[in-house]
Amino acid sequence: MSERVVVVGFGPVAARLIDELLPAVESGVVEMTVIGEEPVAAYNRVLVADLGVGRTSADALALADAASLVAAGVDVRLGVRVRRVDRARRLLLLSDGSTPRYDRLVFATGARPVIPNLTGLNPDPGRPALPPGVTALRDLGDAAALHAAVAGGKRVVVLGGGVLGLETALAAAEEGATVTVVHNGPFPLGRSIDRGGGAVLAASLRNCGVRMAGNARSVGVETDDDGGFSALLLDDGSAIDGDLLVLSCGVRPRVELAEGCGLPTAAGILVDHRLRAHHEPHVFAVGDCAEVRCPDPDCVDCRVPRGPSGLVGPGWRQAEWLAGYLTLLASGALAEAQAMPALPSEQPAVVVLKARGLTMAVAGDVTADPWDEEALCSGSATDRPRLQVSQWADPEHGRYVKMSTRAGVLEGLVAVGMPRTAAELVQLFERGAELPADRSLLLRLDGPEANTSQAAHDPARTVCRCAGISGTAIASAVSSGCSTVAEVSGTTRAGTGCGSCHDEIRGLIEKHFQSAVA
Amino acid sequence: MADGAATHCPYCALQCAVTLTVPAAAEVPLEVTGREFPTNRGGLCRKGWTSTSLLEHPGRVTEPLLRGADGVHRPVDWDTALHLAATAVRETRAAHGPDAVGVFGGGGLTNEKAYQLGKFARLGLGTSRIDYNGRFCMSSAAAAGIRAFGLDRGLPFPVADLDGASTVLLLGSNVAETMPPFVQHLRGARDAGGLIVVDPRRSATAALTSDGAGLHLQPLPGSDLALLLGLAHVVIHEGLADQAYIAKRTVGYPALARSVAGYWPERVQSLTGVPAGLVRETARRLADGARRGGSYVLTGRGVEQHVDGTDTATAAINLALLLGLPGSARSGYGTLTGQGNGQGGREHGQKADQLPGYRKITDPAARAHVAGVWGVPEALIPGPGVPAVELLASLGQPDGVRCLFVHGANVAVSAPDANAVTAGLRRLNFLVVCDFFVSETAAEADLILPVTQWAEEEGTLTNLEGRVLRRRRAVTPPAGVRSELWIMARLAELLDAPSTFSEDPETVFEELRRASAGGPADYSGIDYAMLDRGEEAYWPYPAGSAGTPRLFLEAFAHPDGRAVFTPVTPRRRAPSGVSAGSAGSLGSGDGGAPMTLVTGRWLEHYQSGAQTRRVPALVDARPEARLQLHPSAAAAQGIDDGALVLVANVRGEVLCRAEVSPDIRPETVFLPFHFAGVESANRLTEAVTDPVSGMPEFKTSQVWVRPVAAGASAVALQSEGAS
Repeated sequence: MSERVVVVGFGPVAARLIDELLPAVESGVVEMTVIGEEPVAAYNRVLVADLGVGRTSADALALADAASLVAAGVDVRLGVRVRRVDRARRLLLLSDGSTPRYDRLVFATGARPVIPNLTGLNPDPGRPALPPGVTALRDLGDAAALHAAVAGGKRVVVLGGGVLGLETALAAAEEGATVTVVHNGPFPLGRSIDRGGGAVLAASLRNCGVRMAGNARSVGVETDDDGGFSALLLDDGSAIDGDLLVLSCGVRPRVELAEGCGLPTAAGILVDHRLRAHHEPHVFAVGDCAEVRCPDPDCVDCRVPRGPSGLVGPGWRQAEWLAGYLTLLASGALAEAQAMPALPSEQPAVVVLKARGLTMAVAGDVTADPWDEEALCSGSATDRPRLQVSQWADPEHGRYVKMSTRAGVLEGLVAVGMPRTAAELVQLFERGAELPADRSLLLRLDGPEANTSQAAHDPARTVCRCAGISGTAIASAVSSGCSTVAEVSGTTRAGTGCGSCHDEIRGLIEKHFQSAVA
Repeated sequence: MADGAATHCPYCALQCAVTLTVPAAAEVPLEVTGREFPTNRGGLCRKGWTSTSLLEHPGRVTEPLLRGADGVHRPVDWDTALHLAATAVRETRAAHGPDAVGVFGGGGLTNEKAYQLGKFARLGLGTSRIDYNGRFCMSSAAAAGIRAFGLDRGLPFPVADLDGASTVLLLGSNVAETMPPFVQHLRGARDAGGLIVVDPRRSATAALTSDGAGLHLQPLPGSDLALLLGLAHVVIHEGLADQAYIAKRTVGYPALARSVAGYWPERVQSLTGVPAGLVRETARRLADGARRGGSYVLTGRGVEQHVDGTDTATAAINLALLLGLPGSARSGYGTLTGQGNGQGGREHGQKADQLPGYRKITDPAARAHVAGVWGVPEALIPGPGVPAVELLASLGQPDGVRCLFVHGANVAVSAPDANAVTAGLRRLNFLVVCDFFVSETAAEADLILPVTQWAEEEGTLTNLEGRVLRRRRAVTPPAGVRSELWIMARLAELLDAPSTFSEDPETVFEELRRASAGGPADYSGIDYAMLDRGEEAYWPYPAGSAGTPRLFLEAFAHPDGRAVFTPVTPRRRAPSGVSAGSAGSLGSGDGGAPMTLVTGRWLEHYQSGAQTRRVPALVDARPEARLQLHPSAAAAQGIDDGALVLVANVRGEVLCRAEVSPDIRPETVFLPFHFAGVESANRLTEAVTDPVSGMPEFKTSQVWVRPVAAGASAVALQSEGAS
């Protein structure tokens, strides 16, 4: 028994789904068609900004290869759009006129950039026709536009203080462009970070050569005589001149096709915990276009609606899970498919700035401050353990850390300019593990003393590990007449293994004779 | 004046050269000194310095011991012992078929013994059921090496080649404890600031990176594969890959590049806990080193002893291939072999699927060649058996092994899920253990046969760089002790085995030469005389050649001469051992989170400790197991340094003292596996294995850790003694 699985969209999440389904394709359990609108197979969209600043190559971005998929038996259709889905007959109508049928249809249509409502930009989200010099940095073509600007040392204006905007700005500045970030609110990353972290982050970005234009409300774009971008206009009447405008105002799930065939949608295509469209067992959605919210009104996980995360990690986990599920369905193992544990709900997202010049990680709820009433009062106001907030701020050196915990477990974190601390905190957050009671331990990870042993000056410490000889034993050999490393080795065997301790033995000998002279 | 025998240390694969001096007067103790040799340059660690204790030890078994109905071992003469063993084999074979007899070998046996053991199993016992403890050691790196290069030799270059390197990436290897004299070869990289150590612990080796000597990357246990994919990602995306080398000497690059495209440094940071900046820095230093003095990527058990150990070693090889390291004059990839003859022991037929010369037992041409050397019909050689963990799981089971021979291994301590292994040993109809001490495995035996050890015998070993070395006899073994070659020869006779079984090492080696001729590990051009002249003999060494100090300079060992990129990705696996309600006697739900147990080694002990726990100087230094844990974890549980702790999961419990140290990650604990009984780390490890290599998972067991009140520990110890 076998089933035909059709995947609409060929981005990173679709690529992962196809990879995971390949064994089933090769064994004949699944017949697979993938339909991609772009003329190339999936590539890593996360790195489009890197490509735009010339830090990687288009080849290296590839996540899939159409020819090898075809060789493996996958029906790959590139540069083709799906016009319509006929759910009654389980057929698709494609832009090339063909009408492939499906047993299981998977939407992996992803998201498209939000085009802000600015005079001079066409606001139709379905047909963005941006003037020359304006790009949303989503695909390979956008990367080429950025690359031309960066390579020419041009002025780049980034609209939006979200993580992708900051990454683009930082990378472009480091590679030689003159960059301004325009964002609303007093500090960038306003939706995720707290004031202290945001302020230190903004200062660090300025130190990296990025101009920050905060509290700015943009109203339109100005174009030059050739119709190309020349300035971003703000509501206070000022203008920020530039050669390229990068729009980084978030993304919106691509749901039109699903809506068009009558599937329920909210922010994204609504799916249950098995990634099935509501009341439609033949249709699934994964990645940026999918919103996991099940039809069960009593479901605890779905009480608070959470849109698609916009991160690729959750999409990849969905793809991995769905491949297993679809394989079971296709092989007719319905009972096993039913018994498969549903996909666990995602942890709140962790935002890690992808950059070379500075490090920043932020996750969870970081709004509380150490002196907030709840954190200060002795008992707990609710049945939950009391919120505790620890904070370290050193804006002069671009360092800032906040840890919000309940019962020692992180509910939120901010770390700017502290790479090892950031890496550890993110681990602790994701595992829900308890922090050391002394929170300053985590700050010391980035201190210079982290790598030196406290026992370095203890005379009884082991100097020669190989032979297990202590400093005291060497000192007494020196006192009884050994005056060279070779003599000490002959007497004590210290230094007869790897030899790493020879300098230290020499030091002990010198110390002895110096003090003898004195 | 005393005689000095030029031989090698009995312990690890570095096989440090020593001179053993036998004094003229009997009351003067033996003396061992380091001898100048390229691997150890005269250096020895304290295991080597104290190795004569093994020869003079009062606990030596000096006559065959048979267990009586009361469970007590009593001496028997050799004739009786051998007849009992032969009878057990005959009866088991008659009742349950030839595969009900099994053999478990060791990576410490000489080449001659390892070769003859494989032959004895197949022709003397007629069984396919032979495997060895190297399965717990080198199997993952071996499988990865064969997959990528077409050949597995731990270091495909002499160790001294490392001296000039600018960058050395050491993955999961604590050489400063496991083979201290090796550290001399890292001097150049340290002086260049290029020693990069990947270890969840700040081990003695990781500490060598301080003061500007290099970098220490501290990933979460079990995340090495993701880290390596991140390094490969940076190499490709930052244009650091050696594209000319890739085009000329490899196949499979495009698929490899696609497979790592999703592992950018910040994502790898989330998966491993290693800061993204360190991932980039490591990749750049490797690339930079390759353009200067050379770059080496070396793996050890830390990254290999996993259920995805083969894939992890493959990822390390892929990284090296991207940088153009393997098969170049001043750079390379290697795996650091552990046991004394861990290299030679994996080449000559102790492995379930293997015939001498690193040949495949399923290859008709290989079978025909070896059958020809042995003078038997090819059909007489059984097919492939099963790898170690599967073999041990079958002990005493229906269709399993019911009569077992163990040579040079202490599975009751060294195998994963040791409690289950011991139960298996007790289910056997007959267990024969050849050893020189009553190890924990020998204690379970029906029959213990005392054998010669290092300085009492002649033979050869192959060190970690694939160089064949001579082991020489310096002292006379105790009167009742025999060589394993002699035992196999006598048993073969009693069992009417075809072919010949010599008890003379040189004769056996001459046969090994012919059996290995034309195979991947070809020894046919090596003889005792040239080894005795001190010639350097690196395999493959076909007759008429000069051997191969450096492999792959012209071509890799695949038919097209190219190395193969195999894309690999991490697979998720549910942790086992601490599921709800499974905390054993600790009870569940009393707060603390499960921790990740990493097992490993200390400088003062070797493997299961069967030898080193009998050396007074080593026992004085490290008398008992200690659980290393981070101060924050210790504080959370109310555990003080030196306090007794119970470490437990569904498989078993360990009772030992705590060693509170900031040199370990907070969610990780470390326990050496050198100890037995209530201190045995392998009571906690799981017998799950790598699907390719059969390597067990030794580094990510989930455990609970609790402090123990003094009174409770006495009770636990007593009940242990009674069991």
